[in-house]
Amino acid sequence: MTVEAIDSKAAPLKLEDIVRNRTRKHRWHLAFYILALVLIGWSIKATIIDDTDWERIGTFSEILKSVSQFIGIDFGLIPDLLGPTIETFMIACIGTLLGLVICIPAIWFGALNVTPFKPVTYPLARIAMTLSRSIHEIVWALIFVSAVGLGAFAGILAIAARSLGFIAKMSAEAVENIDRKPVEAIRAMGGNNFQVMLYAILPQVMPVILGIVIFEWEINIRRSAVLGLVGAGGLGLVFFRQMHTFNYPGVTTVILAIFCLVLVGEITSHYSRKALI
Amino acid sequence: MSQLHQMSGKSDATKREWSRFKYPQSLYKYGITLGVVLFIIYSLHYLNVDLSRLFGIFGRLGDLLANRYYPPDIEYIKDADYIGSIIETIQMAYLGALFGILISIFLGWFAAYNVSPSRRYLYPVARVVTMLFRSVHEMIWAILFVTILGFGMLPGVLALTMFSVGFAGKLFAEEIEAIHMGEVEAIRAMGGNHLQVFVYGVVPQVRVALTGIAIYTWDVAFRAATVVGFVGAGGMGWYLKRNVMQIETHRTAAILLSILILVIISEFISAWARNYVSKAK
Repeated sequence: MTVEAIDSKAAPLKLEDIVRNRTRKHRWHLAFYILALVLIGWSIKATIIDDTDWERIGTFSEILKSVSQFIGIDFGLIPDLLGPTIETFMIACIGTLLGLVICIPAIWFGALNVTPFKPVTYPLARIAMTLSRSIHEIVWALIFVSAVGLGAFAGILAIAARSLGFIAKMSAEAVENIDRKPVEAIRAMGGNNFQVMLYAILPQVMPVILGIVIFEWEINIRRSAVLGLVGAGGLGLVFFRQMHTFNYPGVTTVILAIFCLVLVGEITSHYSRKALI
Repeated sequence: MSQLHQMSGKSDATKREWSRFKYPQSLYKYGITLGVVLFIIYSLHYLNVDLSRLFGIFGRLGDLLANRYYPPDIEYIKDADYIGSIIETIQMAYLGALFGILISIFLGWFAAYNVSPSRRYLYPVARVVTMLFRSVHEMIWAILFVTILGFGMLPGVLALTMFSVGFAGKLFAEEIEAIHMGEVEAIRAMGGNHLQVFVYGVVPQVRVALTGIAIYTWDVAFRAATVVGFVGAGGMGWYLKRNVMQIETHRTAAILLSILILVIISEFISAWARNYVSKAK
């Protein structure tokens, strides 16, 4: 691989040059592997040897015993799960839609070829995207619970805030990669900036954006299932209630319900994305 | 566009009003739109969401940030204990992603339909396992492991391992399913067994892509690692939880700020590393 790459680049390379390049590269790679190994050793020492209280964990059979508490399904819980499951599903749907709505200005500002005033709006949109993606959904939910109170609304806002980054980043890339010709055509017909966006850019990027949104929706189902941890309703709340009452088969039941919901989402997403393309 | 051409051919026979969607498509299109709108309205009603609160939210959020969170308590995050927890978080993410990637290489191999060693047994099992790991959120894994193993970094590492397996396993499988089958067939024709097919036929083709995915997995696992401590699994999350519970808003703001900075740094490192790897192809 390396030999061909070097050969094709410059003709007057001598054999010793090639050998020197390769040994230099090998030395770098060797240093990298050693560094990675040292990091692994250091991390294992810190986490598994120093920080873990092996006496508390006990022997292997004791671990198996505590795992076996989780085996089983609490059938009495299933009727109570239907409402929260629907709630989780709805939080994911509405959150994704709201995320899409607040994405529109972010896409407009964040795509280099359509941003209205580059020095200000472009960095602004990029900062918003990074902010949204780097803060975990639990933290978003905490912020929104303190702003709008407990309940599904905080969950919806958290999901929307968290989806903004991914949708806006991928969609802005799609807008940057459009075909320029329709834009020029609309410009030549005397269309203003708004008309260019509506008739030349939007039809081109719509299928891509829809695909991204469906993908994000599928992830959001999974996310909305844990927002109950900070008081934002849904299946997460039932999960923590079962956990706190030490009803371990109930915990397994809730996890299976989440699994089924995610499965439905994944199948829907798979087929609808296929239909889009 | 094609419809437009068709219509222009017919237009001399019948003069028709141009519409973007013709009869059956337009019915589906508007039907789906109507269904979505009805669903939204019904779910807003079901979830008891007061939409009028949406309009004041930016003002309220701004107020909240300015009055309660504003001067972040920078001294708090310079504390040695807190710096130690940051290092713990990095270690947890590193180990979790590493174990997860090691497991998901095999899982991805089993779950790729074209080279799976046994299509009847291993393929569905690997698929379902990947799905299960993916569908359970990392916080739930963390809670389960904390219940079984107690507080500390080990449950965090295991939770992140599960998370990384779910994340990377699917991407690995998709990547392996997209390879050229020529090499695989050549090695099969030479009498290579499944392991030899994987090592000599599949790995050389997907090496670069898998490295890129692995780096990205580390990045995502680090983001998850900043909060798994929330339920007692080690790292910065525990500090976050404690300060949120004690309503120490200035300290919370400082912690959020530090998380943000770290995540941005890790994103830069991961983007640089992925770029380097794809160039070294």
